[in-house]
Amino acid sequence: MYIKPVGASFSLLVMLLFPMLLLAHDVSSGDQQILDSGGLLSYIWVGAKHMLTGYDHLLFLVGVIFFLKGFRDILKFITVFTIGHSITLLGGTYLGVQVNEHLIDAIIALSVLYKGFENLEGFKKLGTRAPNLLMMVFLFGLIHGLGLSTRLQTFDMGQDQFLLKIISFNVGVELGQIAALIPIILLIKAWKGKPSYEAFYKGSNVYLIIAGIGLFAYQVYGYFNGH
Amino acid sequence: MKKVFFGLLAIVLLCSHDMFLKMDNYFLDPNTNAAIQLFNGTFEKSENVIDRNRMLDMSLVGNGQRIQVDSAQWTEKDSITFLNFKTGGPGTWVAGVSTAAKNIALDAKSFNDYLEHDGVVDMLEWRKENNALDQDAVEKYSKHVKTIFQVGEELSDDWKTALGYPIEFIPQENPYDIHAGHSLKVQLLYKGKPLANQLVIIGTEKSEENTTIEHSHDGGDPHTHKSGETPDHDHNSGLQLRTDDAGILEFEITNAGVWHMRTIYMVQSEEEGLTHESNWATLTFAVGSGHSAAHGTDKDENHHTHEEESFSSYIFLLVSLVIVAGLFFYFKSKKK
Repeated sequence: MYIKPVGASFSLLVMLLFPMLLLAHDVSSGDQQILDSGGLLSYIWVGAKHMLTGYDHLLFLVGVIFFLKGFRDILKFITVFTIGHSITLLGGTYLGVQVNEHLIDAIIALSVLYKGFENLEGFKKLGTRAPNLLMMVFLFGLIHGLGLSTRLQTFDMGQDQFLLKIISFNVGVELGQIAALIPIILLIKAWKGKPSYEAFYKGSNVYLIIAGIGLFAYQVYGYFNGH
Repeated sequence: MKKVFFGLLAIVLLCSHDMFLKMDNYFLDPNTNAAIQLFNGTFEKSENVIDRNRMLDMSLVGNGQRIQVDSAQWTEKDSITFLNFKTGGPGTWVAGVSTAAKNIALDAKSFNDYLEHDGVVDMLEWRKENNALDQDAVEKYSKHVKTIFQVGEELSDDWKTALGYPIEFIPQENPYDIHAGHSLKVQLLYKGKPLANQLVIIGTEKSEENTTIEHSHDGGDPHTHKSGETPDHDHNSGLQLRTDDAGILEFEITNAGVWHMRTIYMVQSEEEGLTHESNWATLTFAVGSGHSAAHGTDKDENHHTHEEESFSSYIFLLVSLVIVAGLFFYFKSKKK
């Protein structure tokens, strides 16, 4: 598959950000109505929607995928991330663990920054060894799951089928994750080996650092000036 | 033959014309345009519009104020009358319409059929017991309908405002503050006083004619009916309950969605030229899963409202694209 470098760069960027373009990041009161009247399927839908429109989660995963080589690697790391966020999403919601939304989102923003920094060999430039990536992905998975749990708990879920609702939301998150990752993985795979890939790699990872800082600053501002 | 024809016509005209206030969405944003639909027919289908000069009162109550709606705000389309209005501040609002009375003359058979089909069973029983089934009737009737809807996230007490209609339903709890699984009490007032032992028919858009709704009669034990079971009371047009001595009926909200209830209270009339007088009341509202800002106050203190997060999705995307494209071209040119 040949992709003309500059045009393809733009296509890839659009594809990477396509879910956001379509759906935006709001989980609105309209979602509450969907949850109120749609049964367990609605929880799957809202979970998928949240993952597809949650740019912080996707940016982190993009960072992880950039780093990986081969399908087995991707499967391994995504599985570890999934296990991590499922633990805190299911456990946190079921037990009603409450964390401040701004603070957890600020930490998630740092995970985006971290991945960009690591991909650009930041640790190497600092003369230190990067922590084990698999462990870090698991750890960040736990944190992202807590963010998802915090979001889910802002909805009024009632008491009926409470656990099933959480599981359904989690299933939706996984489906949304798969839907978002497939085009990203395919395009990054197709891109590799092209002359412009290095520029794209650097540009994208510098962007992850900038986005991580920006999101972190936004959440910290929200924490101190929120309501 | 002519008598039979007009009798049937009268049944069609009168019996099937329940009136409801409905909305496409009972959860509205503050200060946005919205529409209330006035259905005259059944809950599912409006068969004709109401003459505006028959509307004695059209009120919106919210933010502690009762607003009289101008008849110029009504429009008609496809047999539905629409009230276009702009929502105000957050709160649980109530809207009501009260119509002027009209008279209708029915032969005995048509009148009996109408009583049977529309759930005016007490009057039918009286006619049976007093050998009056063969008496024609001239009935004066008027309709008084309400809907309760939620604007924004914040709950308010406007929903329980009595509009002073001859007959009206008033919930004893805010429907927007309860979940499916709750039981809801609703009081029926007639001329401002509790109306006891009155038959009320309840339906929901999700469980219309659902006989598995748990309910009780006259303070009896709650129960349900299995499919195929023939109960000793008619469920053909929804769940049928009677108010207690305080005019209150209680039923379980089995599902989220739109709920509606109706009743026709009929008495014999002393007025010259009339035999009966009836007042019709309906109420509609939606039940979420108790979605409200009032739930879990501590939660709300720590969280954004959901809508606020839409702040920057598109801006974020655009800025992101610009940044990545800029960086890409920068690194590409640097490589050269």
